[in-house]
Amino acid sequence: MAIFANQVNKTYQSGEVKVQALRQASLEVPDEKIVTILGPSGSGKSTLLNVIGGIDRYDSGSIKVGDTVLDQLKDRQLTDYRRKFVGFIFQQYNLIPTLTVEENVEVGRELSQQPLDMKDTLEKVGMWDKKDKFPSQLSGGEQQRVAIARALIKNPQILLCDEPTGALDEETGKNILKLLKFVNEQYGTTVLIITHNQGIGEMAHSVIRMKSGEIVDSYENENPVHPEKVTWS
Amino acid sequence: MILKKSVYRTLKEKKFQYAGVAVLLLLAVMLYVSLSMAITTLESRNETFSEDYKQESFHFVAGGSFTDEQLSLWEDEYNVTLEKRKYADFEVDDSTLRVFTTTESVNIPYIAEGKAPTGDQQLAVSKVYAEKHQYQLGETITIGDGEFEITGFVYLPDYIYMIEQMTDLLADAEKFGIAVVSRTSFSGANGQTEILGWTGDGDVPNGFREAVSEETALLQFVHSDDNPRIGFVETEIEGAKGMTTTLPLFILALSIAMVLMLMKRRMEMQRKEIGTLMALGYRKKELVRHYLGYAWVIGLGGTVGGLTAGAGLSVPLSNLYANYFNLPALSMFDWDPFVIVIGFVLPLLLLILLTTFVISRTLRTEPLTLLRPKEVSSGKKSWLEKLPLLQKGGFIRRFRLRLLVRNKARSVYIFIGVMFSTVLLLFGLITFNSMDQLVETTYKEILKYDYAVHYQSLMTEETKDEQSPFTMNELGVVDQDVKITAYGMEKDNEFIQLSAEGESLESDISEGAIISAPLAAVLGIGEGDEINLENSLNSDTMQVEVAAVADLYIGNNLYLPREKLNDFLGFPDEAYTGTWQNKSPENSENVYMVEDKQKAIDSFESTTGATRASVAGMAVFAVLIGVIVLTLLTNLIVEENSPSISLFKVMGYHDKEVSKLVLSVYTPIVLIAYFVSIPLASLSLQQTMNTLVQETGFLMPTDVAWWMVVIGFIVIMLTYWLSLGLSKRKLKNVSLQEALKKQQD
Repeated sequence: MAIFANQVNKTYQSGEVKVQALRQASLEVPDEKIVTILGPSGSGKSTLLNVIGGIDRYDSGSIKVGDTVLDQLKDRQLTDYRRKFVGFIFQQYNLIPTLTVEENVEVGRELSQQPLDMKDTLEKVGMWDKKDKFPSQLSGGEQQRVAIARALIKNPQILLCDEPTGALDEETGKNILKLLKFVNEQYGTTVLIITHNQGIGEMAHSVIRMKSGEIVDSYENENPVHPEKVTWS
Repeated sequence: MILKKSVYRTLKEKKFQYAGVAVLLLLAVMLYVSLSMAITTLESRNETFSEDYKQESFHFVAGGSFTDEQLSLWEDEYNVTLEKRKYADFEVDDSTLRVFTTTESVNIPYIAEGKAPTGDQQLAVSKVYAEKHQYQLGETITIGDGEFEITGFVYLPDYIYMIEQMTDLLADAEKFGIAVVSRTSFSGANGQTEILGWTGDGDVPNGFREAVSEETALLQFVHSDDNPRIGFVETEIEGAKGMTTTLPLFILALSIAMVLMLMKRRMEMQRKEIGTLMALGYRKKELVRHYLGYAWVIGLGGTVGGLTAGAGLSVPLSNLYANYFNLPALSMFDWDPFVIVIGFVLPLLLLILLTTFVISRTLRTEPLTLLRPKEVSSGKKSWLEKLPLLQKGGFIRRFRLRLLVRNKARSVYIFIGVMFSTVLLLFGLITFNSMDQLVETTYKEILKYDYAVHYQSLMTEETKDEQSPFTMNELGVVDQDVKITAYGMEKDNEFIQLSAEGESLESDISEGAIISAPLAAVLGIGEGDEINLENSLNSDTMQVEVAAVADLYIGNNLYLPREKLNDFLGFPDEAYTGTWQNKSPENSENVYMVEDKQKAIDSFESTTGATRASVAGMAVFAVLIGVIVLTLLTNLIVEENSPSISLFKVMGYHDKEVSKLVLSVYTPIVLIAYFVSIPLASLSLQQTMNTLVQETGFLMPTDVAWWMVVIGFIVIMLTYWLSLGLSKRKLKNVSLQEALKKQQD
C-alpha cells in the first residue's frame, strides 16, 4: 500500500513553548517497499510515523494511505483505519505482561477479518516453541519478535516501526531487521522504519532524512544490502 | 476477547486488593439482604399469623359476666365475632405463667410442635418459655395445685410480644410465659374472663363499646392498636426498615469508592498498554468492555456472594426475631423481589456506571499521549505544598509532608475508613454501657420504690407510712399523636427522687412539670418549653411549663404535684390511683396491677447477654472493615510509591526507615480521624435513639466514658498497625530494580 504525504504541518504545545514538529513534510512511499526515516532526536521522524499511523493528528497538509485520506477522519474512522491497515512496532515492545506469547499475538489476530495463521506466524518469527512463555521470561529480542508477530498477524498493509532495534544489541537487532525484510518480501507489506541508526538505511529501498521537522533529503537505494551486512551504529 | 485472560491474571496477581473490595461489597449486600429479608419474613409471618389465626381486633374485661346469648346478640347486631377466654397467672419456676383456655374463633392458638391439649391435665406452652425453662414435650410440670403434661408448643396471636403487663417494655421469657389448656381443664375460680372480639378489619364497631358499658362496668377495653403485645412487632418492623439501609449503604459507598480508586490506579498503571491497544486498532467500546471486566468480577462476586450469604443469614436472623416476638415460623423465609433487585442490581449498576466513567476518562486521552511515559512522581503538585510549613525542616520531614498533601484522596479515604470503624466501635461500646447506665439511673437512683400498686378504682383513704400515693393517668398532647403517662406525686417523696446529672429536681416540681428524657425527645422539647396536655375523657386541656428534664430514660412520663393533676382530672384533692411502696401488697383486694421493679430490672439485665454479643459482633465488624480499608489503601500507597521506595533502598535506606518515610506518614490522619469520630459517634447515636424513642419507649444515655475512648483507641491503633504490618511485607518485596525500570519506561 502506497503512502503519500503532502506538506504536512504539526505543532505541539509544550508548556508555554510551541514546537513545530513537522514543517511542510512531503513524501511518497511506494507500495511493498521498505523505507527508512533517519534523523536525530527531535527531528520529527516519530511524529511523521504517528500521523501516518493515525495515532496523532496533523494541523495541515494531507496524507493518503492507499485509498484512505486521513485528513478529515473522525476518531472512530481513524481506529478502523489502524485496525484494517496498520501494524505498529514499538521500541519498548509494549507487550501485555499478563498474557503469554501466543495470547499477545492473539490480541492482534482478533482485530483482523483475514488474519494470518497463528502457528505459521509464530514459526516465522521463531517464537512458536516459546508460545506459552510470558514477556518477563523473554529476552528483548524475543519480545520484539512477539511484537512483530502481533503486528503481522493482522495481515496489515503497512508496518510502522518506531526504533524497532533501539533497545537491542547488534546481533539481535540485525535478526529483527531480517525479519522485517522477510515480512516485506513474503507478504508485500510496506515497511516504514524510523531510526537514528544510519546503517539501517542501507537495507531500505529508500531513505528519508529529517531535521527540525523538515524532510531534508530523500533518496532511493538501488541495491539495498542484506540486513546482515548493514553497518551497525 | 483474549484480553479477558489479562483481567483474570491481574485479579489473581492482586488478589488481596480485589478480594478486599469484593468482601466490602459482599458485607454491604449481605447486611442489607439479611436484614431486609428477615424483616420481610417477620412481616409476612406476622401478617399470616394475624389473619389466619384471627388476631383480636379488641378485647375487654367487664365487672359483670355475660351470657352466651348476650354475646350472640351483639355478634349479630355489630357484625363481630366474640369469644370468651379465661386466664389466670401462676407462679412457676420463679416466673409467671399465664394460662389461657383455648379458643376457636378469635386468637386461635397455633401449635408449632406436638399437639393441642385435649385432656384436663394437659397444656401447650410457649416455645421460647419452654426453652428458657428447659421444658420438653411430654414433661409434666406443676401449675397451682395440679400436674400438667406438656403436649405441644403454642403461639397466641395476641401475645406476639410476650409481656406480662401492657406497660412493660421488654419481653423476658425467663420471667413470663404463656400456656393454653383445654376449655374443660380450666375450672380455676381465680381466673379472669376476657371477651375477645374480631371484626376482620381491625376496627371496633360503632356503638359497640357503649353498648357493653350500658350492660355492665367496663374495667378494661383494649383496641389492638393500643395493645403493645400486638402492635409492638409492627412498629419494630417499621423502625427496622429504615435501619436496614443506613449501614449497608455506607459500606456500599465505601466499597464503590475503593473499586473506583483501584480502577483509576489500574488505568494509570496500564496507560502504555491502553495506548498500544488503541494503536493496534481496538475501539474505545471494546476497551471499556475489557476494563469493565474488573468491575464485573468484583461486582458479581460481591453481590452474588452477598445475596447468598445474606439469604442464608436471614434464616437464623428471622428465627431470632421470631423468637424475640414469639411468632411461629409459618414460612422459612419470604423472598421480596424488591430486596433482590435493590441488593443485586443497585450495587452492580452503580459500580458499573461509575467504573465506566473512570475508564472512559482515561480512554478520552489520545493513544499517543498514553504511549508516552508519565512522570515517575506520584500525584500532582498541590497548592498546599506552597505553604511555608512544607518548605521547612529536613528532607525526611518535607518528603513525608509532601506525600501526604500530594495524595489527598488517600488521606481522605483513610480518614473516612478510620471514622467509620471508630463510629461503629463506639456505637457498640456506648450501647453496651448505656444499658447498665439506664438501669442504674432509672431504677436505682430515681425510682426508689420496689412496687407500684395500681388500684381498680379511685382511692381516697389515708395511705400507710411506708406508702406514697400517686395519681396516674394517660393524657394526650393537644394536636399531637403522643400519649403521656402523667403522675401526680407528693413533694419530698422518698420513692421517686427525680434528678438530672446527679442534681435533685425536688424543688423544680413546684415550678412546673418534670418530664422523662424519652418524652423530651419525642416532643422535641426541653426546660422552659410548654406542653398542652389533654384529658382524653373530657377533652379538657391544661398548659404546663417544663421545669426540668430528669435522667429518667424509660417511658413518656410527666410528673406534677398530685393536687394539680387531681384538679385537672376532676378528682378530689386527696385522691390517688396507686401507691409506691417497698413491700409487696399484702392483699390483692381492689388491686388492678402490681409493677414489680425487680422484674423490670431483671428483664433489662437479661438482654445484656444479647447486647454483649451484638457489641462483640459490631467490634469484629468495625475491625474487619478497618483492616480491609486501611490495608487496601496502604497497599496502594506502596504500589504507587514503589519507584521512590526502590530508590531509597538503592541509596541505602533500611526497610524500617523507608516504611517510616512512606507508610507511617498517615498516622496523624488516623489519630485525627479517631478523635473527631468520638463526638460524632455520640451525636449520631443520640440522633438514632431520638428517632427510635417513639417505637422503643426508652432512651439510652449516649455519654462517652474515658474507658471507651481508651478501648476504642487501642482497637483502632491495633487495626492500623495490623494494616501497616500487612503492607510492610509488600514494601519489603519492592525490588531495587524498580526505580531503574521506571526510568527506562
